[in-house]
Amino acid sequence: MLKWFKRHRKSNKSYETNEEWVQALSSPVDEQAVKLLREKLINGLKPALHKYVDRELDQFVEDVAQDALLKVIDNIDSFRGESKLITWAMKIAVREGLTELRLKRYDDISIEDLKPNDNSREVFSLSVASEETSPDRSLHESQLVDKVMQIINEELTDKQKKAINALMIQGLPMPAVVKLMDTNRNALYKLVHDARLKIKNKLEIEGIDPDKMLDKL
Amino acid sequence: MELTPDILKNLIKSAQMADEDEIGCNDCFEELHEFAEMELAGKSPEEAKPLVKDHLDKCGSCREEYQALLEALRNIENGQK
Ligand SMILES: [Zn+2]
Repeated sequence: MLKWFKRHRKSNKSYETNEEWVQALSSPVDEQAVKLLREKLINGLKPALHKYVDRELDQFVEDVAQDALLKVIDNIDSFRGESKLITWAMKIAVREGLTELRLKRYDDISIEDLKPNDNSREVFSLSVASEETSPDRSLHESQLVDKVMQIINEELTDKQKKAINALMIQGLPMPAVVKLMDTNRNALYKLVHDARLKIKNKLEIEGIDPDKMLDKL
Repeated sequence: MELTPDILKNLIKSAQMADEDEIGCNDCFEELHEFAEMELAGKSPEEAKPLVKDHLDKCGSCREEYQALLEALRNIENGQK
C-alpha cells in the first residue's frame, strides 16, 4: 500500500521547483515532465508565433516544441537556475521557432537574388559619390558623403564593407545578410559593430561632430 | 545606387551609437531569460542588465525574439491562473 502510494505520488509530480524540473529532465528523463513541458511550450508558442505563421500553426508549433525539448534536455546541465526553468526553456523554443521561420522566409530566395547588383558595388568606389552630386544637393552634403565614403573605403575590411552595404545601403534584413554572407547572426553583429566603431573613431579623430553632421543633412 | 541623405544619416547614427563594450547576439541570448523574468516581475531589467537592454535596442532579430518570449510567457502565466 505504501509502495503504491509512493509510486502514485511520483507519477503525479507537479514540478514546482527548478530542482524538481532539472532532476526530471536529466537522464533518466521523466517522460511525464517532458509531456508537461511540451504542453507549456506549445501553449506559449502558439500566441507568440501566430502572426508569423500563415498556415498550419499547430503542426509548426508542435515541431518547434519538439526540437526545443531536445535542446533543453541536451543542455539541462547548463541551466544555472537564474530564472524559472520554463522561462529558460521558452527562450530556447522561441529562438528555435523564429530561426526556423526566418530560414523559411529566405528559403525561396536564392543567394543570387540577394546579391547586391553590380552598380551598387560602385557605392564603395571613391569617385562615385562626388560624380553623382546632383544640383539639388548642397555642396556641404556632398562633402559629407565624400568623407563618409572615404572612411568606409580606407578603414573597413572588404567583409565589413560588404555587410554595411547589404544592411544599411541595400537595406536587406539581417537574416538575409546572414544567408548572403554565409555567416551567423552573432558574427555578423560583431563584424558590423567593429565597422561602426571604426567609423565613429575616425570621425572623432578628424574632429567631425556627428550631431552637427546630422543637423546638416 | 548612391548614398542618399537618409542612408547617410542612418550610417552616421549607427556609428555614433557604437560602444566599445556592446555585447553580441549570443551574450544577449545567455541573459535573456533572466531579463524577461525581471520585466514580467516589474523589476527594472534595463538597470540590472544595461548591456542586454542596449543590444535589444540595436538588434532587430534579438528584439523580435524577446518580444515573442514575453508574449509566450504572459500567455502561460495567464493560463495557470
Ligand atoms: Zn542580436
